[in-house]
Amino acid sequence: VKDLLVRALDAAVGGGASYADVRGVESLSESLSVRDDTVEGLDRAQSSGFGVRVLADGAWGFASSAVLEGAEPERIAALAVEVARASATAISRAVELVAEPAHVATWRSPFDKDPFAVPLEEKVALLMAATEQMAAVPAIRVARGTMDLLRQQSHFLSCEGAHITQEVVHTAGGIEALAVEGSNVQTRSFPGSFRGHFASAGYELIEEMDLPGNAQRTAEEAAALLKAPPCPATHTTLVLDGHQVMLQVHESIGHPTELDRVLGMEAAFAGTSFVGVPDLGHLRYGSELVNITADATIPGGIGSFGYDDEGVEAQRVDLIRDGVLVGFQTSRETAAAVGEQRSNGTMRAEGWENFPLIRMTNINLLPGSGSLDDLIADVDDGIFMATNKSWSIDDKRKNFQFGCEIAWEIKNGRLGRMLKDPRYTGITPDFWGSCDAVAGPSEWRVWGTPNCGKGQPGQTMRVGHGTSPARFRNVSVGVAR
Amino acid sequence: VTGAGAGLPITSGQVKAAAADALGLAAAEGVEVVVVASSTGLTRYALSEIIQNTVRNEIRAYVRVVSGGRVATASTSQLTPEALVDAATRALEAARASRPDPDFPGLPDPSRVGRAQPVFRWDEATATRAPAERADKVRQILGASDAENAAGIFETSAHAYAVVSSLGVDCFDAFTRCVTTCLVDNGESTGWGEASSHASDRVDVEAVARRAAEKAQRGRGAGDGKPGTYEVVLEAPAVGVMLDYLSYAGMGAKQVIEGESFLATRRGQSVGAESITVTDDVYHPESVGLGFDLEGVPKKRVAVIERGIAHEPVSDLRTAHKLGVESSGHYSGSSEFGPYASNPVLEAGRSSTEDLVAAVADGYLVTRFHYVNVLDRPSTLLTGMTRDGTFRVRNGEIAEPVHNFRFAQSVLDAFASTEGVGSDAIAFAPEYGSFGSTVAPPLHVGAFTFASTTSH
Repeated sequence: VKDLLVRALDAAVGGGASYADVRGVESLSESLSVRDDTVEGLDRAQSSGFGVRVLADGAWGFASSAVLEGAEPERIAALAVEVARASATAISRAVELVAEPAHVATWRSPFDKDPFAVPLEEKVALLMAATEQMAAVPAIRVARGTMDLLRQQSHFLSCEGAHITQEVVHTAGGIEALAVEGSNVQTRSFPGSFRGHFASAGYELIEEMDLPGNAQRTAEEAAALLKAPPCPATHTTLVLDGHQVMLQVHESIGHPTELDRVLGMEAAFAGTSFVGVPDLGHLRYGSELVNITADATIPGGIGSFGYDDEGVEAQRVDLIRDGVLVGFQTSRETAAAVGEQRSNGTMRAEGWENFPLIRMTNINLLPGSGSLDDLIADVDDGIFMATNKSWSIDDKRKNFQFGCEIAWEIKNGRLGRMLKDPRYTGITPDFWGSCDAVAGPSEWRVWGTPNCGKGQPGQTMRVGHGTSPARFRNVSVGVAR
Repeated sequence: VTGAGAGLPITSGQVKAAAADALGLAAAEGVEVVVVASSTGLTRYALSEIIQNTVRNEIRAYVRVVSGGRVATASTSQLTPEALVDAATRALEAARASRPDPDFPGLPDPSRVGRAQPVFRWDEATATRAPAERADKVRQILGASDAENAAGIFETSAHAYAVVSSLGVDCFDAFTRCVTTCLVDNGESTGWGEASSHASDRVDVEAVARRAAEKAQRGRGAGDGKPGTYEVVLEAPAVGVMLDYLSYAGMGAKQVIEGESFLATRRGQSVGAESITVTDDVYHPESVGLGFDLEGVPKKRVAVIERGIAHEPVSDLRTAHKLGVESSGHYSGSSEFGPYASNPVLEAGRSSTEDLVAAVADGYLVTRFHYVNVLDRPSTLLTGMTRDGTFRVRNGEIAEPVHNFRFAQSVLDAFASTEGVGSDAIAFAPEYGSFGSTVAPPLHVGAFTFASTTSH
């Protein structure tokens, strides 16, 4: 593969590119889905190819191909240059990149137990042990268990002399119970919704989760939701579990602080941001308890790597400190717009096919103190919501609405009745400004969401979020209709 | 396929040559190979200049193998006999390690399910557009928008799909697509225009840009609207998104079997006004798609809602077997996901958009929606935001612009209160991926709920 990439790089530079980088990616994935007592999906995917990114006449061009033979490296490199020259007919100024050392390095994500080496029979048996228990609970219509494994190797070469080889291994697993009574449909999942928990880890993650040991409780909660009253419409104190805080951070802090969105480059598709460059260092984004980092270096996060997809070393940077906006997620093209001399390393592409974009790494709400129980104990009258179910936010990332799988009343510092269909809505800076407690390190966990969509052509990306439960005052809840 | 030229990403002959060895895998009881190939050129602009410009050449081959009633799939991006045999072998290993699947009806037998005919929505000029031609179109858009801050895409692509199997399935189809979008931001308000077709000559990029600029201009000076339930006119892009989510939330047979679809409890009942007919119809003149599904079963036109009555879901072989009906040819490629209505069509009515607005005494006009999500599948309850042009309508005329609303609305309730259906049905490309299309006209809805507002 390296020879092919070198040929493509040479052809791009020889064809007139003032800057060029090439990425070759090979991925292997395994996806397993069990429904009740049936293996409903068992897919093993292999993908390999390369992409060439160039600057010519001051503009970007990119081309990619899965063909790894013949004169394809030269053809794709020439096509990338042709594309760049076409771009150059409609630009107002030439693209400039901030400097980055030309790294020559190898990086591998850590794991203990190779998930691909575990016999498939063992994985199927584990999931079926969980689905069998869930299916035994009356009112459960569907009991589902999933596992998703990924091994991805990549090579990055640039005309500046970078040569980076990386390998990541990700593992995910989860269970879900669907309870149905007429048109009343309720879902409960463990440890998180939408195919469970994703981490940069090996099979040890699956073993630690104990899916069979949590199956019966998960199913019983789904069944109990059928009889629960709906979440009332009111303004109240809201406590969120770590999984829902993950989505709240993702949508209302992660996306609005991507500098390409702030600058208007995503306007037509995913939208822009209520945050502007002049807000840096001034905007009060939340209460003093709100401290947010973009950290591509933490173990376990599926947004962790050694180097991003334009060869910038992984970093940890502050985005919000003591509630004030202090940073953006940047690239080599955009960093200068906020006066930075170096990109903070967030450019990533889905597979070999795509042009890299500013993507969240692991965007983390730093832990505060105390436990979830402590957060609840300080509430006389409120609601505790758990596990994300739905999300929606406006094109400037301000007006949001989230739904969770389950909620409980909080009365006099204790959990009370279970509530179904819990939802809440708010305005981003007001909501984070109302945060008066974030649980401590013992409750902090790095969650992963594997399907963050952005860009055109649309790309999905794996991003992480370290969060713990948090509390918010005077929130509008139960606002479905 | 006749008429295919240099732009075709792959030919039927290439697929059969690459798949022959894998289909003959002796140890398997059945082997199926699905090949998806595409070439996509997408020029993206923002801040009134080209910011990204890509050409992607993609191939993916999915090999499904059956052994002892067990089923597994492996895929590869390499279309060579060796890579497909390797994929088949990996799938076979996985199938043997799995468990028998009592719901698997077997691979399709063409003597029973029939042989599919290609739809072939193909335009050679679109398939072979060069980067310079796409950049030229963007310059036309920027000129027509006359804006300092316009953003969007001009995209041309060519797609080919093939399904072959050891049981004799042999399907091939291809389509092209051109998509353009334009958002104009004048610093105070935004406006939107978009168009798509299988043929790039049918996409008037300057009209799209002018429409976006006019919308933005009309949106200047917006104030707060008051949340509540109103009459609305939803322009076609907003209706298209509602249809997409209706398809996702409840038009598939698997959702019926599992109890999540409205069709599980309301089949045969009235769920919309008589003017509402929703089909999955790849044969509609504006649709872009395939004449078969991803297991090679011929695709049928399915009336999901007919003259307001909930009718039937789309199905694949597996769910059709379970429901005791014939497959409608909507296998999505995943038994976990279930069959999918990838070509939803809301049948057009007879009214112009102006006529629809003229019938509204006191309400709103919505240009399009943003970031929609499902809150409750059985009731088809959605939430999302309006964007790029929301206007008060008073006495049948478009009045002042307002800030964007968050809506919370059941699609079926909107259909039930529909008072008029527009005549101008427009095709929309999917936001992600390339499969299928949505055809939607504007609607006059009698009761639509806005739950809150935002500051822009």
